[in-house]
Amino acid sequence: MKRIHMSYEKKKGLYGYGFVALWFIGALMFFIVPLLQSFYYSFHNVAPEVGEVSVTALVDNLTGEKNIFLNYKTAFMTDPKFRQYLVEVLQDMALSLPVVVVFSLFVAIIINQKFRGRTFARAVFFLPVIIATGPVYAIITGDLETSGNSSAEQFSTMFEADMVDQLLEFVGIYGFGDTFTEMLTTITSDILNLVWKCGIQIIIFLSALQGIPPSAKEAAAIEGATSWEFFWKITLPYISPMIVVNIVYTVIDSFTDPTNEVMGRLLEIQSEWRYGLSAAMAWSYFGIILVVLGIIFAIMNKLVWYDD
Amino acid sequence: MADTIAKKNPISDFMAKRKAEKPPKEPKMSRKEKRERFKKRMECLTPAEQRYLRRKQFTDAVWPVVRALIVFGLCFIILYPLLYMISAAFRPRADMNDPTIMWIPKHVTMSNIKDAIVAMDFWKTLKTTLVLNIGCSLVQVVTTAITGYGFARYKFKGKNILFFVVIMMILVPPQIILIPQYMFFRYFDPFGILGLMGKEAISFIDTGVTMYFPALTANGLRAGLFIYLFRQSFRGLPKELEDAAALDGCSPLTTFVRVMVPNAGATFLTVFLFSIVWYWNDYYVSTSFFIDNQTIALKLKNLDANLTRLIFDGGNVQVNIRELIVWMEAGCLISILPILVLYICLQKNFTEGIARSGLTGM
Repeated sequence: MKRIHMSYEKKKGLYGYGFVALWFIGALMFFIVPLLQSFYYSFHNVAPEVGEVSVTALVDNLTGEKNIFLNYKTAFMTDPKFRQYLVEVLQDMALSLPVVVVFSLFVAIIINQKFRGRTFARAVFFLPVIIATGPVYAIITGDLETSGNSSAEQFSTMFEADMVDQLLEFVGIYGFGDTFTEMLTTITSDILNLVWKCGIQIIIFLSALQGIPPSAKEAAAIEGATSWEFFWKITLPYISPMIVVNIVYTVIDSFTDPTNEVMGRLLEIQSEWRYGLSAAMAWSYFGIILVVLGIIFAIMNKLVWYDD
Repeated sequence: MADTIAKKNPISDFMAKRKAEKPPKEPKMSRKEKRERFKKRMECLTPAEQRYLRRKQFTDAVWPVVRALIVFGLCFIILYPLLYMISAAFRPRADMNDPTIMWIPKHVTMSNIKDAIVAMDFWKTLKTTLVLNIGCSLVQVVTTAITGYGFARYKFKGKNILFFVVIMMILVPPQIILIPQYMFFRYFDPFGILGLMGKEAISFIDTGVTMYFPALTANGLRAGLFIYLFRQSFRGLPKELEDAAALDGCSPLTTFVRVMVPNAGATFLTVFLFSIVWYWNDYYVSTSFFIDNQTIALKLKNLDANLTRLIFDGGNVQVNIRELIVWMEAGCLISILPILVLYICLQKNFTEGIARSGLTGM
């Protein structure tokens, strides 16, 4: 038998295929084909039947003509709730995204410093990651509300809205208070949710902070940088790629959260066996996610600084 | 034996000598002297430097206090629901209506826990969850590690496109592809092979296959994220490692198992923990592919109904919303307890090792 001679590099390439082969077979069956299939469904009328689903062309009831975009039209024009939920989810997102990112960065910087009890503090901050994903979280928050022990209310009194208003009026700013206090109250009354949502983001930022080379820290200390300057000129540029990662993660996490309203509506429609419509909704929803992420990338790309 | 070697060692000899020659300690300065010395030193500096030092002195004194307050406050917010859970789970229902009781119940009772165990059919549920969810998460850790290694360490044609698929796996919400996946398992006939052999398609609905099969091919819950994490961490290891292993005659698989895996311990731990947590808390996939699946997350979600059916005698026992809390919190407590114990055991490695888990470096 003649041995086939191959270079080391070529052989390594073949082994590479070997390592990813298992995943690729799985991805083909469980990801790529289903993804294309659901895309196909979204342009068709899909109904369950015995033994198979029947896929037929979409026909507009009013005009009697074929219209492959009918599902999309139904989703946006006819469906009573989809559009409204979509706007609400996007609004929520726009409001909570900056808060989540800033807050988790703040916490990460704090628990990256050396102090007594740091290990304990870290363990506590990562605790939500363990618990917050499941039904436990829903029960916890629900119970706290019914028992009137909601920590959110207790903490929001610390930032009494009137106080902010009065402070601003004292400084001489009138009328500004309304939008500002509204924003502030949403943030503070939501502090439990906020803290519980940030676990992974804190982890990502923490590991980014530890990636800042010690030489940069030393140089800054020798030049006499204050911690404020250090934050803006050393920390922020170094972790800017991770800020993008965190934004992306936060967006995806909140968009794909099964408890959000659009997802709820989607599942409702699925349980009514209207697969075509639900596929169309899911795809337009996904399209919106991609557009949002695209915009974020375009903005952030100019601000991100890479170390090379 | 060890002592004699240490004595003969010239270096330790030298060190001992140096120690003996060390000048005696200066007498401790009083606070006043210290302040004067500081003043003298300050006089030698430029005004800008003085300002900097004063400011630093001030922040060094104040910041730890502020930080301690913030950390304490946030820790309290996070632990608050858990403390409340423990407090509520052990109190009798009557105590919920007593306004004098905030944290410590007047009577401690185990009956809520016992009721919750009955209502959730806890031991059987635990067994199902362990076999199905924990088994899957373990399998998934191994398969995603292999895939991540392939992406991190080998160059091959089409790698970028394949990796794009991995990124898409992270981005696409699982709800989008659920129905085609369901159809796949309901009429299992991969690539039409069974049809060619003239057999009917098999239905895997309501069997463990629906969860094990994707996990086995690195396509389970959040597999994309795990592959990404593993790739990042394997990419960070030095290239010389595998070249050395190859020269010593290791096959790529042996290199992976014996050289690479031991070096990626922190990542394995992280992914292992995430994977277990997500499978443990999952009820979305298990409700979709199973007719009547008894996992802990699902039982907890339906705890209300089961309590009414089994404990409250089908609604004949009247329980108001406030009183219901004690049972709900008891149910929560027993369902997160196994995960919590696991977390506490791994916590030190997890929190300190997470920095090196390869999350950095996009």
